[in-house]
Amino acid sequence: MQTEMNLGSDDRQTVLVCCGTGCTANGGREVFNAFETSLQDHPEIQVLPVVKATGCNGWCEKGPLVRLLPRDITYCSVAPADVDEIINKTLLDGVLVKRLLYRDPVSKEHLTSHHLTDFYRKQHKIALRNIGEIDPGQIDDYVQRGGYQALQKALLGMKGQEVIDTIKASGLRGRGGGGFPTGQKWQACRNASGNTKYIICNGDEGDPGAFMDRSIMEGDPHTVIEGMILGAYAVGASHGYIYVRDEYDLAVQYLRKAVDDARQRGYLGNNILNTGFVFDIDLIRGGGAFVCGEETALIASIEGRVGEPHDKYIFPTEKGLWGKPTVINNVETWANVPVIVLHGPASFAAIGTANSKGTKVFSLVGKVVNTGLVEVPMGTTLREIIYEIGGGVLKKRSFKAVQTGGPSGGCIPAELLDLPIDFDSLTEAGSMMGSGGLIVMDDRTCMVEVARYYVNFLAGESCGKCTPCREGIRALLEILTRISEGQGSIGDLDLLEDISFTMQQASLCALGRTAPNPVLSTLRYFREEYLEHIEQHRCPAGVCRALSIFYIDPEVCNGCGVCARHCAVNAIQGEKKQAHVIDESICIHCGECYRQCAFDAIKLR
Amino acid sequence: MKITVNGQEREAHAGESILDLCRREGIPIPTFCYHQAFGGQGACRMCMVEIKEDGQSRSRLVAACTYPLTKTAEIITESEQIQRIRRTIVMLLARRAGENPLLEELSRAYGAAHLPAITVEPANCILCGLCIHACAEMGRSAIWSMFRGVDKRIATPYDEASDDCMGCAACARVCPTQAIKVEEEDAVRKIWNKTFALVSCSRCGKYYATREELEYLSKHGDFGQQQLCETCRKKNLAYNIKTFQQ
Repeated sequence: MQTEMNLGSDDRQTVLVCCGTGCTANGGREVFNAFETSLQDHPEIQVLPVVKATGCNGWCEKGPLVRLLPRDITYCSVAPADVDEIINKTLLDGVLVKRLLYRDPVSKEHLTSHHLTDFYRKQHKIALRNIGEIDPGQIDDYVQRGGYQALQKALLGMKGQEVIDTIKASGLRGRGGGGFPTGQKWQACRNASGNTKYIICNGDEGDPGAFMDRSIMEGDPHTVIEGMILGAYAVGASHGYIYVRDEYDLAVQYLRKAVDDARQRGYLGNNILNTGFVFDIDLIRGGGAFVCGEETALIASIEGRVGEPHDKYIFPTEKGLWGKPTVINNVETWANVPVIVLHGPASFAAIGTANSKGTKVFSLVGKVVNTGLVEVPMGTTLREIIYEIGGGVLKKRSFKAVQTGGPSGGCIPAELLDLPIDFDSLTEAGSMMGSGGLIVMDDRTCMVEVARYYVNFLAGESCGKCTPCREGIRALLEILTRISEGQGSIGDLDLLEDISFTMQQASLCALGRTAPNPVLSTLRYFREEYLEHIEQHRCPAGVCRALSIFYIDPEVCNGCGVCARHCAVNAIQGEKKQAHVIDESICIHCGECYRQCAFDAIKLR
Repeated sequence: MKITVNGQEREAHAGESILDLCRREGIPIPTFCYHQAFGGQGACRMCMVEIKEDGQSRSRLVAACTYPLTKTAEIITESEQIQRIRRTIVMLLARRAGENPLLEELSRAYGAAHLPAITVEPANCILCGLCIHACAEMGRSAIWSMFRGVDKRIATPYDEASDDCMGCAACARVCPTQAIKVEEEDAVRKIWNKTFALVSCSRCGKYYATREELEYLSKHGDFGQQQLCETCRKKNLAYNIKTFQQ
């Protein structure tokens, strides 16, 4: 269902430099600039290659990525200093620069294209179909890859209801976390009385470690806009808003340009594609409150009120922005819409599980070899994502848990690695899909600390309006802190569960109702770890400082000295090639030596 | 519209909240953040009840103060899980206002466990938000909630004396835990870091309002030329009605 690559249709060489946020941080922009300037020094080249700065390719671990078309060559971890070699050898002479190719860790073979790697082979890109292939600042790039064709198809040949029927038939569910059927939401808005209706794109992604929506907005802004126009046409809305975090500077820039470009081309405005259909989009920059990702708080924020949610007993589809029927969908949901409308619902519905269709984008981070952005069919197992695509756990340590769904989600243990993930299976496992964050944790991760981390995050990000969320989080944080400091008691576990119950049942919005998930899921799967903290005053992962006393096993230590070099307080002494010793009177229990030792010579008391 | 509450049939107006129906019918539901003048906020969550509407297979928990009744439904206002929720909420709020009689009494009534007290500003504030609404209803909005999450508190902007505060103390009057300090001595009232001169009643001589409040009120309606305190105003009204009838 993907549009075939046709950018290099005239066989002109194209250099695609990944300038997603990850690659930019690693010098992607400098590589891009180096290509542009260095190519000027080659007057002998008749037709200069086109150099494009693209959005995130997803393989952040190996960035900055440079791709050469039409030969489909991918170079990894490219530095500006490598650019001349790439131009002279590959672009001019057609010779590969072997050292920049990805080397498969198993077969030890050099792979010429990223498409051949396990990281990409297992993926199925729909929402991310254009990202990395186009310059997000160029509307023509998007159009060349089939962009705005769905809009033409709908506006010129479909009724609004038919668009909704298409979305319904596709089985698309909201990618923002809740998984509400998108078609059903649109239908409710279409059926709602009133002439003024609104469309909102929720780009207030804020889960720690998640960057799915960011990459879409930065890498392919027009797909979001096209999706929104289709939604507006379907429900009868004439105005839309994209609510995007102001911290997403690049996303704001590209979206702003994309809206202007789309308006200039007649895809937005008073007479879209000369059909008389009216729709326009404004960009709203959010101030960075996590809770504004909640629909009603987001609406309040757009209206200029304090970003606090209110009860959703009347859905926004009936009474939303300024009291008018409003459809709010997440960035990734909108990105799927043009594909479904253009290619029909059947091909989309053919992917995925019984109740979760299509694909899902995940940001794969934590202790995993290939960190990055991946898009896989619903129903892919965690094992496939973490081990086949992700390349397994870093430093070959053992897998302990994977956290899904951010602060609203939970930790899933190794026993459930073969769980085919979709909206329902994750909820059943005590976690949730959330917006798609996947944080891999190894055996050196303390589950009490993980729960404490998320609750602490929410302590600052809850809006503080309702009692169960505000005071519940405060109490959970106190108890978890107490346990991690060795001051917990057995009764604390009951208290955690009791408070969590009230938070789940009585909190005003989904933030509060799901806030106990990190606590409850770790209690469910790692209860013995809590007990070890409470009863034996020991943190088995060596993370909780008050409970971690380290010593060096003289039988194992070979005196390499790595621990001593990393010790911030010089608490480790020893002669070269002799067993080292930790001076407990100086040691601050930070655990750095424990993490650095390659021989597992440092042990926990 | 027929609504069954705790097994008994009641008649509800379409669109009214569960709480409004129950208050009218004399069915007790505890609340902290509700005031009939402001409507439901859904903030304290004490008023959680179970509802099963027509066509639903299972009952669910909703906040009575914000849930609009639109179709026939069965409502339960007391159950084991409702008790459990209210007990936890009282337990959590009592930490903010441990020595407040209302919370003390509720803690006893619900058998809530005792958690260590926490320091909040202003002391005893349970963040019900009624003061914000009172101030906004007065047309002033001199106080609002500051910060978010566990740091949330009610204050004037930057904790400074606010130009918008007219010292009317409507905020203090609606506060269920008497958390807003109003200090009155001689002809001076201190509230929210601001000092006001008080005006005395032209009849009984009692200091009863700030000059700023009276000036504001005179601009927004005809409250009579005489400066009267609440008691004297009532007496005056009674006298006028009496003489009018004669």
